[in-house]
Amino acid sequence: MRMPARAEDITKTEPTPWHIFLVLAQINTLTLGGGYVIVPAIGNAFEKQGWIEEEEFYRIFSRAQVFPGPIALSTAFLASYRIAGVPGAIAAVLGTVLPPFFALILVGGFISLYGNTELFKRFLGGAGAVVPGLVASMLWKTTKNRKWSVRAVIEVVGLAILLVVFPSAAFFLLLGGIAVFYIGRLVWKS
Amino acid sequence: MEILSVSLAFFKIGIVAFGGGWSVVGLIKHEIVPRWMNAEAFNSLIAIAQSTPGPIALNAATLVGWQKAGFLGALAATFSVILFPLLAMSSALAFAKYIPLKRSLADESLRSGSMAMILMTLWTLLPRTALPMPWIFALAAFGITAFTKLNAVYVILGAGALNMLIGALH
Repeated sequence: MRMPARAEDITKTEPTPWHIFLVLAQINTLTLGGGYVIVPAIGNAFEKQGWIEEEEFYRIFSRAQVFPGPIALSTAFLASYRIAGVPGAIAAVLGTVLPPFFALILVGGFISLYGNTELFKRFLGGAGAVVPGLVASMLWKTTKNRKWSVRAVIEVVGLAILLVVFPSAAFFLLLGGIAVFYIGRLVWKS
Repeated sequence: MEILSVSLAFFKIGIVAFGGGWSVVGLIKHEIVPRWMNAEAFNSLIAIAQSTPGPIALNAATLVGWQKAGFLGALAATFSVILFPLLAMSSALAFAKYIPLKRSLADESLRSGSMAMILMTLWTLLPRTALPMPWIFALAAFGITAFTKLNAVYVILGAGALNMLIGALH
């Protein structure tokens, strides 16, 4: 389904797997800041190319959140599958994974060269020190944006305590916890 | 076999990586600290993963794989962390009709799970020291990113630069 013709039509490309790869690779090379910055950038680019309507893209985004893994990957995967089938989905994986991979190889090489210099250690120390603050701010934002119920508070706090006390069982606690929440919500509607 | 154990660790992380990058950081830490690095090096790793292009779990996998087993290690760890998500999505696309999942209930359950993970992540990452510097940096970063629209990347890079400056002044 193509968007109505517009002036910028000239710059548009056909939704071939190669073009999907190029668009995603460009976004994933240039966008810093994780999934919630990358996803809108993808939506914007796909919509401008006339490959998918914004509303449909965000419907796919909300479905992508059911799956584990980086949200930028799952959204790109499902949206590109919708646009160009299995080859599109493969292009999406490569376009999402390859640019950061090579960027990180470069960074890794840089660290093994300069990682032991005093200056670089200070840089990493400062950069690492802000990380707990960034997590706290993510927690603050998700807390603010959720509609809370007694049930949700019990679920979150209960599971968090279990995770902190039994971190080595985290894997099973999470899978089990989410299953229990789901079944609980299914059989006992509050 | 470092490559195998790194891959297995990140394969497991990929299975439970729900709800955006930050939530899974606590689990990643539990898998690799103190087995492969100390807590401080881990925080730096996460700062690097967040301020380079690409998803944080993916970048962390690439970096850890690279540090433990070179290029092949990076390749294997990166592939491992996306393996399960890709399988899950492919099977969902193939068998969507046969999965009687109530979407709104599943969404709420996953939201609870991922928020519990973020809480755990925060608890795991809190500075285990009475030194003021880590606390000041963390609190300032919280204030800036929670109440302004500034991209966290600039906070990370700025804090690194500031700490270099402090070091130079000493």
